[in-house]
Amino acid sequence: MESNLNNKLKKTYKIITSDKQLTAGIIGLLIVLTVIIFAPSLSTHDPNFYGTNVLSGLGENGHLLGTNKMGQDIYSMIIFGTRTSVQVAVISALISGVLGILIGGIAGFFGGKIDQFVSELINVFMMLPTFFLILLIIALFGNSITNVMIVIGITTWPSNAKLMRAQALSIRERTFVKAATAMGESKREILFKYIIPNGIFPVIANTTIGMSNAILTEASLSFLGLGDPNIISWGQMIYEGKSYITSAWWISAFAGVAIILTVIVFYLLGDGLNHVLNPKHANGREA
Amino acid sequence: MSTILEVKNLNITYKNKKKNVYAVKDVSFTINKGDSLGLVGESGSGKSTLATALLRLHPKHSTVITGKANFMGKDLISISEKELLDLRWNELAVVFQKSMNSLSPVHRIGEQIEDIYRVHKPKATKKEISDRASYLMSLVNLSNRVYNLYPHELSGGMLQRVSIAISLLHNPKLLILDEATTALDVVTQGQILDEILKMEKEMDMTRIMITHDMSVVSSSCNKVAIMYAGELMEVGCVEDIIPNPKHPYTQGLLSSFPSLKGEKKELRGIPGYLPDLSIKHEGCIFATRCKDVMDICRKIKPVKKIVDNKQEVSCHLYGGDD
Amino acid sequence: MSRYISKRLFSGIITILIVFAINFIIINAAPGDPIKTIMGKESDDPVLRAALEEKYGFDKPLTVQFGIYLKNSLKGDLGTSIIYDRPVSEMIGERLGPTILLVLSAGILSLIIGTIMGIIAARREGSLLDTILSGISYVLNSVPSFWLGLMLIILFSSRLKLLPTYGMTNQRASYTGIKYILDVLKHMILPVGTLLLVQIPTYFRIAKSSVLQVANEDFITTFRATVMSERKIFNKYIFRNAILPTITMFGISMAYLITGVSLIETVFAWPGTGRLVLTAINQRDYPTLMGMYLIMSISVAVVMIIVDIIYAILDPRIRY
Repeated sequence: MESNLNNKLKKTYKIITSDKQLTAGIIGLLIVLTVIIFAPSLSTHDPNFYGTNVLSGLGENGHLLGTNKMGQDIYSMIIFGTRTSVQVAVISALISGVLGILIGGIAGFFGGKIDQFVSELINVFMMLPTFFLILLIIALFGNSITNVMIVIGITTWPSNAKLMRAQALSIRERTFVKAATAMGESKREILFKYIIPNGIFPVIANTTIGMSNAILTEASLSFLGLGDPNIISWGQMIYEGKSYITSAWWISAFAGVAIILTVIVFYLLGDGLNHVLNPKHANGREA
Repeated sequence: MSTILEVKNLNITYKNKKKNVYAVKDVSFTINKGDSLGLVGESGSGKSTLATALLRLHPKHSTVITGKANFMGKDLISISEKELLDLRWNELAVVFQKSMNSLSPVHRIGEQIEDIYRVHKPKATKKEISDRASYLMSLVNLSNRVYNLYPHELSGGMLQRVSIAISLLHNPKLLILDEATTALDVVTQGQILDEILKMEKEMDMTRIMITHDMSVVSSSCNKVAIMYAGELMEVGCVEDIIPNPKHPYTQGLLSSFPSLKGEKKELRGIPGYLPDLSIKHEGCIFATRCKDVMDICRKIKPVKKIVDNKQEVSCHLYGGDD
Repeated sequence: MSRYISKRLFSGIITILIVFAINFIIINAAPGDPIKTIMGKESDDPVLRAALEEKYGFDKPLTVQFGIYLKNSLKGDLGTSIIYDRPVSEMIGERLGPTILLVLSAGILSLIIGTIMGIIAARREGSLLDTILSGISYVLNSVPSFWLGLMLIILFSSRLKLLPTYGMTNQRASYTGIKYILDVLKHMILPVGTLLLVQIPTYFRIAKSSVLQVANEDFITTFRATVMSERKIFNKYIFRNAILPTITMFGISMAYLITGVSLIETVFAWPGTGRLVLTAINQRDYPTLMGMYLIMSISVAVVMIIVDIIYAILDPRIRY
């Protein structure tokens, strides 16, 4: 059994290194995870501590990237902000993914009226501007970070559902599914044992890209003043730094850079996963 | 009998960064006016490569072609680009296999035919072109309606017929059909072959039919050339080879097809796989799969010999070791 | 074709109805009762309450309420702003112009520039230019638009003092005619520029992958075999086929712009509907917010329908 695990690891390693974007994405992910786990050791100050050095510039007073108007150390805030961003990304992606997989899977597998209804629903939802809807809901229901995660999750499931539905439609025609039906397995069993596990791959890649979008959405919400002021988030930092743009540019600038880097990591991951799990997507060229 | 095409010692090699692939090796054959040559072989045997090379459709920088291909007095391999482009589609045309996407999906068929026609005859009028197209469509049993339709409105068989009609626009002397009926159902295939035969008579055309299907060859060709791994195994007339195949590979090919009449025979495939074309092989290239292989086959490449005054065979069974 | 158009229009109307429904649901589902939501948290005036109850029919069943809401909205009555005490539709109306200016300029320019860049990159695939363009495109896609706007302000306004920091016009001078137009253009450079930088990558990617894909299709090989000139093959056949995904993208991009322009207007203090959104959020002016949502969604739906119809004109396969 040990050699089996060994083989699987080797195979995984080979797959990961086969695609440049996936490799870069995985490396980036590891870096992000390191920052998250070792945040306390990596930061120079307690980010929530209101220090005495207000609006210090780069490198002044022992603050690598300066401080904001409350004396918080920018560098440490950025380190801890990673946790917030990734948390938002992962949880909203999970909600969106689970919803999308269930709804899309049911629609594609069961077909008929259910499918028609759900498809129309998906099409309509994809036409609606989600950002503004999120805005509205947060404005009305409160701007806690939990709300943000949930709302992003429940407004972004349509694209996952569309992918899952397409997968379900094609998988249910495969012989092993027909065999299972003939053997008397219940529709629910088939859905969860065969359809979903086999069709989940493009959804995984899409969800990863959705994580990038979630980070950007959270930042946009914060920028408009709808962020959670009790949590350290990069978007919130840009918002706070807006008024000091000409005098203390570092408050907004580095938070933005952090967003860009993290978003790129998830895009690379998503793109890479897409290439590896779905070779048709890679290029227009023949393999 | 005038010779339309004489191929002599044709070699085609693909070069990429890592290795060379010897796709066609030392192939020679002759086609006379009015002939219909069936070029048969399994997938990867090099038959399509051969056809594409005659029309110089390969990327120049990665393909090396040597030898001669004498077409109506001009050597297709060595003439200038300009001369070749003059010949292509005018005197020498090709019909490809994949029909569903062989035309632009967002333009009408007639419009595309006009553009193709005007390549060689830029001043042609619309009427001239549509008249010519009407004539050709009738030859392939297509209604005139097709001219104004979009490709996705036609079935696979109809699209293939359109491709054939397009290849005949300028009345080429030689038409190459590269697996043109492979993607179609048997009934449509039969109809199209009938149409081709009729057309051939009417237009005085010479044809090369590339296929892996022996039945197509036996029902519509008068000559056949059997290709394996880039080399010719046996060449001759259909009426000689089909009832009396000499080369073991040809025998294998014929026995893997059921015959409609006669007793039930055992169907047999040919065991083994195509050799790696990036290595130069010693001896006969078919040796590893041949049921009649002898020691000499593995060491010395057999020479072409005419057997029984009929077909040319490259095999040690027939004195290939001179 | 006409069947397709009517199908799309029908879909569009359903979408708009759903938008109304969502708005309605939100009003009713929000914490606190709907009247408070519409009135704002301050007023407990019973007279006002009674009047509003009468107007919106809060004592009647939900479906009737929805009908009333629908009817009011279609008449142009989107409620009254709590803060400014003016009809929402009026406030939105006077700010629509500057926003449309930004959205259309950014939308059309990014389409043209991005597509051209994508086509160039596709034709020179693998070259240094292609790698550089693709890399920049990848990074730009990850940049938050509002942050980029801020950085550009720092660079061009604050440091280099080349361009104005905010607003649509120089309020101190009152230009007219050509001078006014030039002034507006000067103020447009940064906001539109920011939007371009964020939108162009999307068109770049679509155009490049689309051209590459079409260039590998069988019919291109067929045309080459017929000796058709590369120029004609590209200009007529590759282009027309490859442009289709770009059209679809335009619809999606406009949707993004219509909603995302609020962020940019906030950064550059552009006097459009986006700024209205900001103040409405800060002061929880729900009628205004919901009115904006309605207008935005309807605009997006309309744009999508138009784009779909254009697509159907260009691609005959879709019409059935």
